[in-house]
Amino acid sequence: MGFTAIEKVLARTSGQPGVRAGDVVHPDPDMVMIHDGVVREIKIKLDEIGINRVRDPGKLLMVTDHEVVYGNQRSADKGVFNRKAAAEWKAGRFYDAGRGGHGHIFPMERGMVLPGMFYFDNDTHATNAGAVGAFGLRVGSEIARVLATGTTWVQVPKTVKLELKGRLGNGVQARDIGFYFARMVKSGELPIDLDYRVLEYAGDLDQFSLGARVALCSTPTEMRAAGVFVPPSNEVLAYCKAHATRPFEPVYSDPDAEYESCHTLDLNAVEPQVSRPGNVANAVDVSELAGIEISHAFIGSCGSGMYSDLLAAASVLKGKKVAPNARLIIVPGSEQSMKRMTDEGLMQIFLESGAMVMPAGCGPCNDAVVGPVGAGEVSISTATNNNIGRFGSKEASLYLGSPLTVAASAVMGRISDVRKVPLDAALFDRMEAAYVI
Amino acid sequence: MSSDFQWSLRGRCYKLGDNVPHPGGVIPLSLITARETDPKILIPKLFSETDPGFSTRCRPGDLIITGKNFGMGVKSTGYIAMAALGLGLLCESMSVQAYREALSTGLRVLSPCPGILELCERDDDVEIDYRTGEFINHTRNLRKTFTPMPPTLQELVAEGGTIPWLAKWWKTTGSKEVSS
Repeated sequence: MGFTAIEKVLARTSGQPGVRAGDVVHPDPDMVMIHDGVVREIKIKLDEIGINRVRDPGKLLMVTDHEVVYGNQRSADKGVFNRKAAAEWKAGRFYDAGRGGHGHIFPMERGMVLPGMFYFDNDTHATNAGAVGAFGLRVGSEIARVLATGTTWVQVPKTVKLELKGRLGNGVQARDIGFYFARMVKSGELPIDLDYRVLEYAGDLDQFSLGARVALCSTPTEMRAAGVFVPPSNEVLAYCKAHATRPFEPVYSDPDAEYESCHTLDLNAVEPQVSRPGNVANAVDVSELAGIEISHAFIGSCGSGMYSDLLAAASVLKGKKVAPNARLIIVPGSEQSMKRMTDEGLMQIFLESGAMVMPAGCGPCNDAVVGPVGAGEVSISTATNNNIGRFGSKEASLYLGSPLTVAASAVMGRISDVRKVPLDAALFDRMEAAYVI
Repeated sequence: MSSDFQWSLRGRCYKLGDNVPHPGGVIPLSLITARETDPKILIPKLFSETDPGFSTRCRPGDLIITGKNFGMGVKSTGYIAMAALGLGLLCESMSVQAYREALSTGLRVLSPCPGILELCERDDDVEIDYRTGEFINHTRNLRKTFTPMPPTLQELVAEGGTIPWLAKWWKTTGSKEVSS
């Protein structure tokens, strides 16, 4: 019996010849990541014990992405604390506000997260690493133990395989697949429990560029997956090789690996999706909700913060205006994308449309530190989830859609089918090659 | 590891069903969002929305026995109260991330325990040995052995959870190591 990709990666990092789903191991990670939102509470805990150093500063990647623009003094004080912490811990890499962007995006773009890697993270959305065939595992507050001792316990997750068959239709994007998948699981048509499983994609994956692969990782995470794995294509490997900051060895599941279950999803059946408020799995075809007036729209988050997502938005917004009843917030995933937007004319398109561009990071999707919704407002966004109160008032209605759907809805001022809105073909066609070397 | 640690608990069964949410079902949401960690504040609020006064009636050794997907998430607030009250937890299943949070508080917890709800009713006299997985319902004279707590995690629980474990590790090992 062969091994799954996560079993192989955890065997390598645990120094064992082979591990199986269910085993408890203590892997030596390739990297440890912590974000600005939790540094303070973790450092205070360690300081109280007297632990004044981290085990391996060279592996530590600290990022400021949750509160990039300090909206008040409390946030600014936290920034002061975090900079002091980075210095005391001698953090190998510290990407403070304005330096990197979203911690689950720029490390992939810049060759710090690479195929076959394993790392610990305090945050759930570390699963994005699956877009390049790597694994980031959330350990929450136990990141304190990882920082101090170098590791913590990990139960090897089971793997569920999902084969994508067919081609995406007109106006359908990778985020739509996630919403549709969640909908199929909720309805019971796909009998899957993703809790602490790795979701491994298979099938017709060559149509998904790196940006789309990041989007594929988003919704399974909200369904409580421990990881997502998209076997890296030659195109992804070439991008990673060109940007790698360290050697890497891609990992794939063996043909006879043991999966908990295997399923297929017919991509030809997927229409553009919109998730009703409350849960990602409340998705329906856009036609069911088209016409609902919106006042808030947001494109960004770790689910849709790649440069290709910005190109998608620009392809809709070019030459158009955001509707008078709506405001549109665009948050690039990285400072690199911000520069590229400026170089390649996207910034001008966004500004001329009346959209607001915020600094790279989580944007409104983190607890509404910027750009929240008010009571009674209706929002459509590419946020990771639309749980009640995710970014602002609990009295607001939060819908989710793909970058194309959100941009189209912002222009029309109501939830709209992007297939009925003219797109700029030149910008649209650049999406696929956004991360091609 | 403390040699006198009590791995076996015996007490009354407190039976709960499937999909009990942490907020509301275990402890009020307000304490979770406030990130409250003080056991003195949390104890009176354990199950307060579903069973007011629970904390005054339970006794150390009592076992909370639940259905599938207990706790539903990654919050640890309620487990702090359970651990401080000397209670044990046995679940048909719980999210691995919830299990991690529970262990991190030092709570004696066993999951998964498939079929355990069929072996007990509320207030039965029940016993579990976390190191062997042996479960006994003395009231009904039923026995079943579940997968025990993994040996590598026993030390964490015996020390009282992640922070006390780290404190001991630092005192005995960590402070003597040279950072790499």
